Formats: sequence, structure tokens, C-alpha cells
Amino acid sequence: MKPIVSVRNVSKRYRVGRPLGMRPSLREAVTNFVKSPFTQRNGEANGETLWALKDISFDAQPGEVIGIIGRNGAGKSTLLRILARITKPSKGEIDIYGRLGTLLEIGTGFHPDLTGRENIFLNGTILGMKVQEIKRKFDEIVAFSEVERFLETPVKHYSSGMYLRLAFSIAAHFEPEVLLLDEIIAVGDLSFQEKCFEKMRSVSREGRTIFLVSHNLNSIQSLCKRVFLLREGRLCAEEEPQRVLDIYLEDKPPALINS
Amino acid sequence: MIRLEKAGSTVSPAADGAKASPANVRVDLPLIKIRAHRPWAAVDLRELWTHRELLYFLIWRELKARYKQTVLGISWVILQPLLMTIVFTVVLGRLVGVPSGSIPYPLFLYAGLLPWIFFSSAVTNGSESLVASSYMITKVYFPRIIIPAAAVGVRLADFLVASVVLIVLMRYYGIPLGWPLLLAPLLVVHITLLALALSAWLSALNVRYRDTGTALPVLLQLWMFASPVVYSEALVSARWRWLYELNPVAGIVEGFRSALLGLPFNRSGLIVSVLITMALLVGSTFAFGRMEDEFADIV
Repeated sequence: MKPIVSVRNVSKRYRVGRPLGMRPSLREAVTNFVKSPFTQRNGEANGETLWALKDISFDAQPGEVIGIIGRNGAGKSTLLRILARITKPSKGEIDIYGRLGTLLEIGTGFHPDLTGRENIFLNGTILGMKVQEIKRKFDEIVAFSEVERFLETPVKHYSSGMYLRLAFSIAAHFEPEVLLLDEIIAVGDLSFQEKCFEKMRSVSREGRTIFLVSHNLNSIQSLCKRVFLLREGRLCAEEEPQRVLDIYLEDKPPALINS
Repeated sequence: MIRLEKAGSTVSPAADGAKASPANVRVDLPLIKIRAHRPWAAVDLRELWTHRELLYFLIWRELKARYKQTVLGISWVILQPLLMTIVFTVVLGRLVGVPSGSIPYPLFLYAGLLPWIFFSSAVTNGSESLVASSYMITKVYFPRIIIPAAAVGVRLADFLVASVVLIVLMRYYGIPLGWPLLLAPLLVVHITLLALALSAWLSALNVRYRDTGTALPVLLQLWMFASPVVYSEALVSARWRWLYELNPVAGIVEGFRSALLGLPFNRSGLIVSVLITMALLVGSTFAFGRMEDEFADIV
């Protein structure tokens, strides 16, 4: 079977040289240029580099739900952001066959002064949906979010639960072939959470691929068929959930399988 | 509608069968290629077209939110050029006595202030737009140039609203509507593209160098007086006319006024302006394409 996502030798380097809060200024850059116009400056000389991801390769099949776990700073979010095209890899190649849905945060671009109805269209297009598609799914989105009565109310008057439910519901009804989720599945009360889980399972049954970054090991275990463990930017385990979770919890140095 | 077959199915839909597509991957799905940063990349115009609805909704969001927040709302868009016209009419028209030929000075002024206010507010807004939208840039992918384009689009909408007053003024002063009026939309497109080129360039610079916007208000103020906004280009001595025409705004403002008020056109000024605008547009597309990959990392 041909993979829907194919990642080959992806690395990401960040520069960490400049002290926090010190942004380069245009005045500085212009004066430097005037002083010595032929010196190459790309910031690499003065500053250390940090490899947030190192030589990651994997394939994902349609319908797979892949969990990504690891300690803080292991590179989970960087990997997701590269898959989402928010930032570019420093090295390596990725091919994705299909549309991409990114949910690093829910309610991106919501405007507090606009109504629930208006924000459904706004947020939907920001996520990458077509207006036709939003119109077609509008009733479903509203029903799922349970905010029918407040559709014409500006979202700044919503309770935080309503806000989250509406935002998640829009995203859940976007039907991309590849869905990237970051820690957002723990939304609302228990019954709504169960609804979200069920939605994700049905998304997977339809043949869509989900990448899920989470610290919630329970949700990883109940949703994923395969789990990646990242450690210091390397993919150090890639197996069925129980085995990877054992390695992660014991934190013993596992063999590198992706070298 | 895009839909995948159920997982595990190995039969391609009949429509795709002829192309011998691999099972489970429909040929009509886009292939997204993610590659490392290339220093010479222009903005992908085709991708921009597929995201046109987003551009529309970002403009719509700003307009809608503005008219919900402020009581003055739409009237402010009309009041700003009108108040400036009154002030300049008193100071320059009455006290200084700037000549405006056969055209009444208030009308002459309004026809110049209108495109200028659009241009300067679009560039100001546009240059701040990317940094102001960092919360979106770090969360989801879309062609980044949509952000400065939307900022310019919002100001374009304001401009169109304020144009209604111009029509009213023209009726009031009894200026006949002539054929040259048909050129006005072209000039609006022209100045929009110029504002877009500068906005894209400055907004990208502003992500990297946060002091980019500091000098902008002063520069724009100077730029206004270097353009025939409150006076006629005829006041510039013939010896320096060539230098004056290197300012692309000069040709547009003068041309806009000619089209509306039936004055003679300055062809050479317009041609120079079109060429400079095109050069800026190409330059800014590449500058933007070169810088956009790192926006999410440094914004």
C-alpha cells in the first residue's frame, strides 16, 4: 500500500545564539551593511545551533492513528509544525498525498466581536475548508457543538466550554486526508470528550490519517495503533502503544531503531 | 468533494482506473511537497488563488468587526478625508493660495487626498499586518502573503466608500462625468498593486527587524508632500520633472485626478509609474518568498 505521508531524513535546526528579547534592528543591519557591504552575515557565525529534530524518517498509511510522545523539548511540536507546513525543515523531504488539516490550537482566528455563525465561516476558511463545504456541514457543526441557541451571539459572551466546543466542532468536521492534532482532545466535559474520541475513531475508519501529540497517555493508548517516542530530536521507538509507553515510563535508553 | 475510500479497500474508482493510480490514493488529491528552505523562491501565485476565500474572509472579518465596535463605524472612513480637505482648503487654499486651475480647490484636494489616504493607510496597516497576525502564522499554514493583501483589501474597501463623497462633490461643483472616468478603475488597480508590493515587503522586513515601522509615519508624511496631493504637478519646474516622476505615486494621483475631473493626462509620468510599480511588485514577491519560510520561527 502506498503511504499517504512519507517523511525522509528530516532535520530541523534552530539558532539559539541571540539573548532573549534582543531582536535584530533594521538600523543595526543597515549600519553594518554600510560599514562593510561585502561581509556575509547570516547569523550562524555568532550563535549556537540546536537540532530540534535529527534525521527523522517514517511512512504513514491511510487510516492510521499515530501518537507522538516524548518529554518536553523532545521535538514533538516541531515535528508537527513541520508536517503542518508552518515551518520548513532544515534538511530532508516530506510528501503528503491529500489535504492537510492542522489543529495546533482550537479557534485560531476567532474574532470575539463576531457571532458564532460568523466565526464558523471564518475559522473554517482559516483551517482550509471551502465555503461550499462549510455551508454543507453547517448544521452538523452546530448540532455537534451544542450551541444552537447562541449562534447569533458574539463569541466573547460564550462560556469557555461553549467556545471550546464550537471551535473543536468546526475542526472535527473538516475532512482532510491528514489531520494533525496537538493536545487539544481534552476539551469540555466528560461526555463531550467521549464524543470527540468517537469522532476521531470514525475519522480514522474513513481512511484518514491522524497524528496526535499528547501527554495524556490514556488517550494515546485508546486511540492509536502506532506510537512514536521522540527523545532529543530523534525517533527512538516506533511500535504499538503498550510497548512504547513501557519504554517511555521506564525511561531506560532504548535501542535506536531509526538510524 | 474529496473523499478517500475506506481503509483496506483496493479498488480505485472507475473514473481514476484508467490512470492506474495506486490503491487508496486518489489521483485528484493534491500532492504536498515539503522541502528544505530555498533562498530564491517567489510567492506561489497558483496557491494564492486556491486560498482566495480566505483572503475574502479576512477582509470581511476586519470590516465587520470594525462596524460592530465603533459607533462612528463607516462614517469615520468618510470623515477622515473630508476633515483633511477642510483643513487643507483653509490653510493652503485660502491662506497660501495654492493654484488649482479651473477646478475648485476643495474638489481638487479631495480627488488627490482620496487615493493618497488609501495608499498611506494601506502601507501602514500592511506593514504591521504580519506581526499582528503572529497568532495565526504560528498555528496554521496558508500562503502568508494573504495577510498583507487582506490589510490592503480592507483599506481598498474604505477607499471605495469614501469615493461616494467624491461623486457627490463633483455633482455639487457641476463637473461633467466624461469618458476618461473609465480609466479611474485601472488607476485604482495600479495603486492597489503598488500598496501591496510595499506592504508585503515592509511586513516581511518587520518580522525580522521590529523597528521597520518606526520611521514609516514620517516617511509617508514626506512622501505625501513629494506627490501632487495638495498641489498640482504643474508647480514642479520642468527641469526637475523627471526626478519628480520617479515617484510612482505622483503619476497615479495626477492620473486619478485627470480621469475624474477631465484634465489632460501626463502620459510619461504614468508610464514611469507603471514600470516602477511592476519592478517593485516582482522584487517584493521574491523578497517575501525568501523571508516567509522563517516567519513562524522568529515572529
